[in-house]
Order: sequence, then C-alpha cells, then structure tokens
Amino acid sequence: MNLTLRTVARTAACLLSVLLAACASSPAPVNPMPEGDFRARIQSQERSGVRVSVAVPSASETREIFSKPLYDKGIQPVWLQIENHRDEPLTFLPVGLDPEYFSPLEVANLEVDRPENPESLVDEFFIEQSINLVIPGGGEISGFVFSRLDEGTKSFNVDVRTDAEFHSFSFFVPVPGLQIDHYAIDWRNLYPADAWVELETTRLIEELEQFACCVTDKSGDNTGDPLNLVLIGMPQDVYTTFIRAGWDETETVTRASGWKTVKSFLSGGEYRYSPVSSLYVFERPQDVAFQKTRDNIHERNHLRLWMSWLTYEGLPVWIGQISRDIGVRFTTKTITTHKIDPNVDETREYLLENLAYAQSVKAFGYVGGVGAIPMDAPRGNLTGDPFFTDGFRLVLWVSSEPVPVSDLEFLEWRVPGHMDAAAP
Amino acid sequence: MQRLRIGRPAPTILSLLLILTLGACGAAPYRYQPLDAFDVVSRAVTQQQGQFRVRASVPSEAEAEAMFGIPIYDRGIQPVWIEVTNTGDRRGRMALVSIDAEYFAPLEVAYMHKARFSKQGWQDMERYLYANALPRHVKPGQTVSGFVFTHASTGTKAFNLDIFYAGEPPAFEQFTFFIEVPGFRPDHREIDFRSLYKAAEVQNVSTDGLRALLEQIPCCTSNHDGSAHGRPVPIFLVAEARDLLRALLRAGWQESSYERDENYLASADYLFGRPPDAIFRKGRDRSTERAELSLWLAPIVADDAPLWVGQFKHAIGRRYAIGERFLGVTLDPDTSDGRNYVLQDLWYAQSLKHWAWSESGRDVPAETPAFDFHGNPWFSDEAYRIVIWVSGEPVALTEATPIIWDRPIESLGGSP
Repeated sequence: MNLTLRTVARTAACLLSVLLAACASSPAPVNPMPEGDFRARIQSQERSGVRVSVAVPSASETREIFSKPLYDKGIQPVWLQIENHRDEPLTFLPVGLDPEYFSPLEVANLEVDRPENPESLVDEFFIEQSINLVIPGGGEISGFVFSRLDEGTKSFNVDVRTDAEFHSFSFFVPVPGLQIDHYAIDWRNLYPADAWVELETTRLIEELEQFACCVTDKSGDNTGDPLNLVLIGMPQDVYTTFIRAGWDETETVTRASGWKTVKSFLSGGEYRYSPVSSLYVFERPQDVAFQKTRDNIHERNHLRLWMSWLTYEGLPVWIGQISRDIGVRFTTKTITTHKIDPNVDETREYLLENLAYAQSVKAFGYVGGVGAIPMDAPRGNLTGDPFFTDGFRLVLWVSSEPVPVSDLEFLEWRVPGHMDAAAP
Repeated sequence: MQRLRIGRPAPTILSLLLILTLGACGAAPYRYQPLDAFDVVSRAVTQQQGQFRVRASVPSEAEAEAMFGIPIYDRGIQPVWIEVTNTGDRRGRMALVSIDAEYFAPLEVAYMHKARFSKQGWQDMERYLYANALPRHVKPGQTVSGFVFTHASTGTKAFNLDIFYAGEPPAFEQFTFFIEVPGFRPDHREIDFRSLYKAAEVQNVSTDGLRALLEQIPCCTSNHDGSAHGRPVPIFLVAEARDLLRALLRAGWQESSYERDENYLASADYLFGRPPDAIFRKGRDRSTERAELSLWLAPIVADDAPLWVGQFKHAIGRRYAIGERFLGVTLDPDTSDGRNYVLQDLWYAQSLKHWAWSESGRDVPAETPAFDFHGNPWFSDEAYRIVIWVSGEPVALTEATPIIWDRPIESLGGSP
C-alpha cells in the first residue's frame, strides 16, 4: 500500500462512509443457494451425443477441497464432467473455458517458497484433480480446470471437438457467497397485471422520448445522470447479455460488502461487485446494477436499469443510465466520489460495441428524450460531476441466444446529431 | 537465472513524493504539436474494402509525447491514428472495441494527466483530445480521421477495425492491420534469415518426408558451449515467416527486443549452435506469470514452407535461490502443458490449418524429472512433439484438421 496524503484522506472518508453504510441498512438474506457440497448445484447440457455437467465450488468449498485459499489468489476451480456417447474420441479444449487458465502445477506452486526440491516437484493431488483432455468413445472424464475468478455468476464455455466437428456449451453458473441485488426482485410482480402496456414501434419511440431526462435523488427534487439507455428483452436476456459481455453483478449494501469496498479502495485493488449508490426512477432505486472493472476500482463502467411497464412485441422495455468512472475526486457532499467521463455518449457507444461483440445484441437504434447538453455548457449530476451529451438514448434489443456481429441490425430511427459532426 | 522478465517494481514512497511534489507545481498551460509536424500520416498503411478506404498509422513513444504534450506511453496508452473514407452510399459506423476491447476514452486520458496542468490547461487538453478522437460515424462521401487510445503493446501493432453498414441488410467490413512502430526493433529483425544456412544445408521435403526428418532435431536445447542439456523443444511450426508473425500477433503474443550482450549469450538456450532467432512473450496480470515462446529456424523446408522449432516456458511464480542476486522465476515443470497450450492458443486465434503428433522427443516421467542447465526441473508426457501448420489468414475453428502421424488421438491424456 502506498501511503500518500491522498490515501490518508481517502481512508478517513471511506471509514466514515462505511460506518454510515453499516448503519443505514441491515443485511437481508437473499437467494439462499445450498453451500457445502458444490455437487448439489450441478448443471448439465446434452447435445450431439455429448453430455457436459459443470459445477463451481464457492470460496469456502474450494478451501475445503484444495486446502488453499485459491479465491484469494484469484483462482477458481471449475468442476467438469464430460460424457462421450459417440463412438469417436472427443478432445476438450480448456483455452475455450478460460484463455488464461492456470496449469495444475502453477496452482500447486502457490505459497511454496522452495519448489526446487524434487520431492515436492509434482503435487500429485493437483495433477489428479485436474481434467484430462481426451474422452474416448463411449467414455467419460471428470476433474477440475483452474480458471480466473468470477464471483456472482460464472460464465464460460465448454468446447469439445472431434476431427470433423466442434461443439460449444455455454454455462451461466451462480456461485454462492455474494448478496447480489437482483436475486431479491420478483420481476413478474413488479407491476400489477393490468399495468403493462404493449406498444407498436411509433408509439414506443414517442413514449421513450417522453420519459424523464434523468435519474433523481430519493426526494425526486434533484436530477442527476441522463437516462441514456433503453433495453428490450426479458430479465433472463438482460442477465445473460451482461454476464456474457464480462459485466459483474452488484452486491447489496451489507457490512461485509462495505468492508470489501474499503479494502479495495485503500489498496486500489479489485472488488468487482461493490455496492453502488441508489439513483431513482419511477420513485424507486435501480432494479439492477452491473459494473465492469478495468485496471482498478477507480476505473470502471457502471450501469443501472429499471424495468418499465411498457412492452414491445411482448418483451419488457427497460430504461437505464451508464457512466464511466475515470478517477476519484473530492466533493463537499460525499467527501469522495468517482469522477465520471463527462462525455457520457462515449460510454453509451462503448456499451453498444461491448454487448454487440459479446454477441448479445440483435438490433440497435436511437431515440431522443434526454435533450442536448453541449460540452461548453455541461450539466451536473447528483454529485456535481459535469456531463454533456447529444441528447439521444440508445435502444438495444438484447438476446439470450448468441447473435453474430454480422447479423447486427442498425435501425435508422433517429439520427443523433453527433453523426454529422466531426467529434465522436 | 532465467531471462523471463519481472515486471516494473512498485513505485516507492520516495518516487511518489517526488510525483506529488511535481504534481503540486501543475500550473502549466497545455501545449502540443500539430499532427502535420510529424510523418505519422505520410507513413500510414492504406486498405480498401467494400465502400470504405482506411489509412492507419501508430506514432512512436517520442512522437506521441510531442504530439499530445503528455507522456502517454508511460501510462500504458498507445494512440492509433485512423482515417476512414466512405466511398459508397450507406452510412458507416466504426466499432472502436474492434481495435481494443478496453480502449481509453479521450477525456479519461486527459483526466489521467490533469495534475500536470493548470485548470485551464486541463480543459484545453480535454478539448484537444476530444476534437482529435476518431469519430464513430462516417457519412457517404465523407472522410473522417482521428486517434483511438489503445493499450500499448511492444513491437508491431496488430489490430482489427470493423465498420458496420447502416440500414438493410446487416453487413460489416473487417480490416486487419499489422503496423510497425518506429523506435522498436524486434529481435527477429536483427537476423538475416537468408544467410543463416547455405543452400546445400537446407533439406526440401514433402509433408511425409518431414515426419522422418523430425527425428534428427534434438530433443532439447543446450547451454552456450553445448556441455549441458536445456529444456525440450516440443513444438514445430510450419509457416512462412510473415504468416507466422501474423499468427502470433493475432494470438496476442508480443515481440521482444533482446540485447545480445555477454550475459545473455552466456545464459541463453542454444539450438543449432545459436540462441533463439525470435522470442515472443505473453503475460498475465501478475508480473511473475509469463509465457515465453522461443523460435529457431531449422534447415528444413516442408512443401515450400520453412520449419521453425519452438520452446515454451511458463513462469509460474517467484523462485528464491542462494547465490542469485535477484528474484528468479519458477518454470512450470510440466512441459506438455505448455505444448498443448500453444496448439489451442493458435487454434482459437484462428491460425491453425493442420496439426500432427511426432514421437520424436524425449520421454521424461514426472517421477524422475530432468533438470535444465539452470537447475530447473522438467518432465513431459511420453515423447510426443506437436507439429502445427500455421495460417497467416484466419481459419475457422471447425476448418482445422489433423494429420494422423505417430499418435493415435485416443491416447492423448495428461493435464490440460
């Protein structure tokens, strides 16, 4: 840890905010998942004569199995069983699961200061626990692959091939241990049954352009960041879209999550699931928040979503807000806050590309509704951070099934002004 | 000690204090030099596809610092200059994440360097970077240009640029660039490959002939005077040099630039009587976990494509040894794991045409490991070496096919 004046100031500010957070809300148990035996949570898929079963041990289960705090080292074992019901052999490709997977001896070498000793060269246990690459015809294999850590939901592919075929199985596996915000939401009953309104295209555009420009605080008196996103899709589509694109879920405020936030703030390290502040639309805080960490906790993208009562072709319409943290700054209101990129359109366009390349977007277009705010006369959000925008909302049709970028539809509903200007 | 590099040391308190002191003096106005003061544009590489013409160029570290008035490479940021001309009738939209999935936003770059300037200076820098960023949209008949701020890489800059067409039907163009950056000379540029072997020394063989010849390639490297064994060379790559370079860059390997000083020559691995012709590197986040691929050109040409012999080293942690002045690294002793990794790595990078197994290496069971001349242990699963026919153009995962040689595929086991 680097001790600087700034760090000391941060420490004081952070401890204060954590104390406040701890007082403000008592932890509520959400989504109890059986923890203790990871095999109770096995997921399976079967296709083309191949059955793949997976499970991901939690932090404590991992410690139990391997007697090493692998999660603390950023390593997560994934248990796999591959049954080959075909006559020909199959080969499993661990690089498809994680291009930077850890080799078994790399994991065994952790915390070993003097591995030169030939007797301790091969940790038989780690070799035995790791998975083979080849599954003979009619056979099966099982074991662990050591991947980079993802708490919340672990998303990965299991790729197998024969000489002539290639099969990829996609999994989204919730890992016990975190208190994730959206687990507690009953999407079906968010609105009364008679409150839902189905709209055709023209009416949808009109409605979206009449939505409030921005989020507010709890009182509803003060406006903040612009609502620059619209998503169309079922809750499951939204969930898989962001997980597949590498976004992390968000923990609710608890003592544990508050402490993890402080630790990462002080060390500049990663706490990828850090609780986020509540912003308000429809007189309630966000239904779900996702975040994407970059090099450190101070550089990440944040987005918040609210499900509206509108539907389009039977799919719920969501309104949202995205911003990019680019550093830390001091404020009189909250002592410290993350500085956002004032060019919120840039972040909005990044999201489109990020989700499209994760094969999660079917189509996109734009509607108005925020109102243009020029760079030379920026507006402030709730923490006084300036922002400017062309005033458009990005509309994204999200998909649970992968959509190749070559099929991405660019709908010319509205043409944002910036398309005609020299600046991005 | 192995020459796998350890990352930069963490900043000391002293250097931080120095930075803070300098930062406190940040009252300077923002200064930059216009783009036309450099030959960045004139040396741009041009490609045309569909209705788009794209020019691209990468400023060196010195050029970038002068051009933007900030030491931008020091923050791990490398600007890429791009110009797009739309010669058709459909609007185009450039996808910046196709160049770098985690590119830096212009105002983010400005914020990183704000402490150097007065408030006015910072705002001037914000406006300059914003105005000189590559726009995302290009109308029919229009030419737009600007910079994308990417993560810095060492050596040749390899990237794609995807441009999507607006309207129906959905379509996009993908451009692939390999751009040399002034100021960096990769190791393989120092070698005159044409004069490495005399014409009479080179054996021209068919694919089948290659199988027998691999028996003659030593199992392992040696030290500089040939008095001790090194580690195994379990990887053979069949490719034209240019295709191999492109394939490795596409797979995320970076070129290196070794100074061939006495220390290096005394501690390097030798094959065919010389140290590696080229070394490529790939790193994880942790500075001690790195992979290194060393390559030697062999005096063998198979169906008109030269044969390269490869050694893969995977550092898996620090190593403390008495007598060493600095921290060394521990190498993964399981050399089969690294060999299998390279095969998959090239496959997922869409660079694999064919592969075959050759039982021409050395079988070293894990129970009785061998030791290289640095004293690092290693073992392998049986005597198999992998032969990879590399493609310079992308090959779909499903289109790569095996050539069945020594190894019945059913027997392939071991750890991943």
